[in-house]
Amino acid sequence: MESTVSSPGSTTVAQTAQNTGISANSLARSFGHVVAVENIDFRAEPGKVTALIGPNGSGKTTLLLMLASLLKPNHGTISVQGIDPVSNPRAARAVLGWMPDTLGMWESLTGREILTTVAALYGIAKSDAATRAQELLELVSLEELADTPARVFSRGQAQRLSLARALVNNPAILLLDEPASGLDPGARVQLRVLVRQLADSGKTVVISSHVLAELDEMADAAVFISKGKTVRSQTLAEAGTQIRGYTISVLDVTRLREFLEAKNIAATYAQDFDSPRGSAKVKLASETEAAALLKELVLGNIAVTTFAPSAGLLEETYLSLEEGTP
Amino acid sequence: MSAPVRERQVQPRAELGYLSGIRTIFKLEILQRVRSRGWYMFLAMWFTVIALVVGLTALNVGAQGRGTGQLMFELVVAFVLFFGLLIAPALSSNSITGDRANGTLAILQNTLITPGQLLLGKWLAAWVTSLGFLIVTIPLLLWAMTYGDIYFPAVPGLLGMLVLELAIVCGIGVGVSALANRTLFAVLISYLLVAMLGLGTLIAFGLSMELVRVDVKASNQEWSEENMNGDDAIWDPNDYTCGTTLYTQPAYATDRNTWLLAANPFVVVADAAPRPVLKPGQDADLIGPMGGISEMVRSSQAGIANTIPCLNGIKNLDTLPEKSSPLWPLGIGLQGLLAAGLLVAGRAKLRTPAGRLATGTRIA
Ligand SMILES: Nc1ncnc2c1ncn2[C@@H]1O[C@H](COP(=O)(O)OP(=O)(O)O)[C@@H](O)[C@H]1O
Ligand SMILES: [Mg+2]
Repeated sequence: MESTVSSPGSTTVAQTAQNTGISANSLARSFGHVVAVENIDFRAEPGKVTALIGPNGSGKTTLLLMLASLLKPNHGTISVQGIDPVSNPRAARAVLGWMPDTLGMWESLTGREILTTVAALYGIAKSDAATRAQELLELVSLEELADTPARVFSRGQAQRLSLARALVNNPAILLLDEPASGLDPGARVQLRVLVRQLADSGKTVVISSHVLAELDEMADAAVFISKGKTVRSQTLAEAGTQIRGYTISVLDVTRLREFLEAKNIAATYAQDFDSPRGSAKVKLASETEAAALLKELVLGNIAVTTFAPSAGLLEETYLSLEEGTP
Repeated sequence: MSAPVRERQVQPRAELGYLSGIRTIFKLEILQRVRSRGWYMFLAMWFTVIALVVGLTALNVGAQGRGTGQLMFELVVAFVLFFGLLIAPALSSNSITGDRANGTLAILQNTLITPGQLLLGKWLAAWVTSLGFLIVTIPLLLWAMTYGDIYFPAVPGLLGMLVLELAIVCGIGVGVSALANRTLFAVLISYLLVAMLGLGTLIAFGLSMELVRVDVKASNQEWSEENMNGDDAIWDPNDYTCGTTLYTQPAYATDRNTWLLAANPFVVVADAAPRPVLKPGQDADLIGPMGGISEMVRSSQAGIANTIPCLNGIKNLDTLPEKSSPLWPLGIGLQGLLAAGLLVAGRAKLRTPAGRLATGTRIA
């Protein structure tokens, strides 16, 4: 899709119009002796939310810094919207929005001043900057605090301001480093909705986290990294077809055990101290299999109180990867 | 996934102009400074101290003849320079390390701003802030002018060089700040560099004295009979002749090592201002601190010719150079090189994507 807009001297516009998202190949980066990123392949598609998942210290922040044109990889290639951030950082920055995991801000400035200052640093004219700041403050629902110094912001408010700041230049690529940490449940839902909207408007969104449950509901694809290496890339649709653990809670666990053993389904059981209640954990190959088992349980007159996946989709992959590593 | 992918709205890419980038950083810095209340208290304290010192000086010397205004004026200049040297490094040293610690440096680096624009904006802001210290002393300068005895040709030189010295010290501070990883370290190094200019030059000058020690052939001064016996009113210390008996005497050829003082900020400011030329028979005015430094430097530049009244049987008044060559261009040149070198190195350090990072530092 060619979407070049004719405007005076618009060679750079044509360059950014190729909406190709992010692709990075065999990236490596070390700090002295510490190898932070050993070998990472990463792709993120426009219009999708790509989750970057890995334990603490696995190299998520380092990878995002390289994508954000702040850190030079020792090895490997990066392309953001067809631009190489190493050789052409300024062009890359024009299409990038980056939200760091540290929430530093100019504390004596108000939210509005912070946004207009950053807008000015992107060369946005003064009147446009004011409009943009107002739009963004509304987007992250900080209108009421717009003219309060950022010093008094709570963590969640600072986080929303930081997100708004990353959006100032209306970036095609949005890199969010642990944006949900420290947010209350309500703010998380808001963030999820907002991130979804941004992706639906065609932006490439990368979001790093180790809180997997919240990613389940907004991510379209996930890249798992561990110790600086890509260990798996998958879409959520793929994750739906993998073997998952389910927890079945019942009023009488002995009857459930007899039922499952008769069917040759392996399970681990747990029983309450003072009642026959309890639960079993089973592994099932697909969602269809899960639905079939539930139906049989109900028909078999087992009093089921809950029947649910033990963990979120991404968590499941994450845990299976952990198991896989000795 | 069949979410309707809306066409991304392509804006004509805004380019960041060079000056407008500098202006934005400048505004950002100044805005943060003027918001801090401590800053105003500091300026008020500053004004009070200088006003006290200058006022007391005026009281003490007011009755002693011409030159009170000039003395007060030079005192204010010396004070602003002295405290400027003490305060400007502290003010400018955290301008980048502070952002680094705060996590805001990476945010700036991720915009279209270039390292050069960032440094220039921060430097300008630090400079303008330090000029605040000069600006609050304007009432005192005006007071000094009411005495009507200021030597006006020296005013632009003194003030202009003072402003330039503050710019250089701020440049050193900002440059070091870009190079250092921690504020404390940056402050320390800036102070060391400024001390190197202020005190190091004096120490180097003192230590080099042994190197310029020479043996000269001197002879006695002889005054004519009538000059010796006349009353004090017609005594002319310069009306002597030199004896013919030469003897060897050690002397210091300070004309060879005075240049070591060139980079001293006080010497630069004092040396750049013209001194009043005394008409014959006119009493010298009270001499202020800057005038004093200027005269000392000039006589040091004259070297042996100035300290030995009779050299090789020749009267020194006949050999004393008319005007010594000014030292301040060399001084400003050396200081400018130091500041510019630090700023250029700092710019390289701020360039992203970053290659090597100093151990123990993160970008974010
Ligand atoms: N600037 C640095 N200097 C030295 N080691 C670093 C630096 N940045 C990151 N590391 C190390 O690299 C590894 C990956 O860090 P990081 O990318 O921050 O992980 P994550 O964001 O996934 O928690 C960690 O072991 C960390 O200690
Ligand atoms: Mg991290």
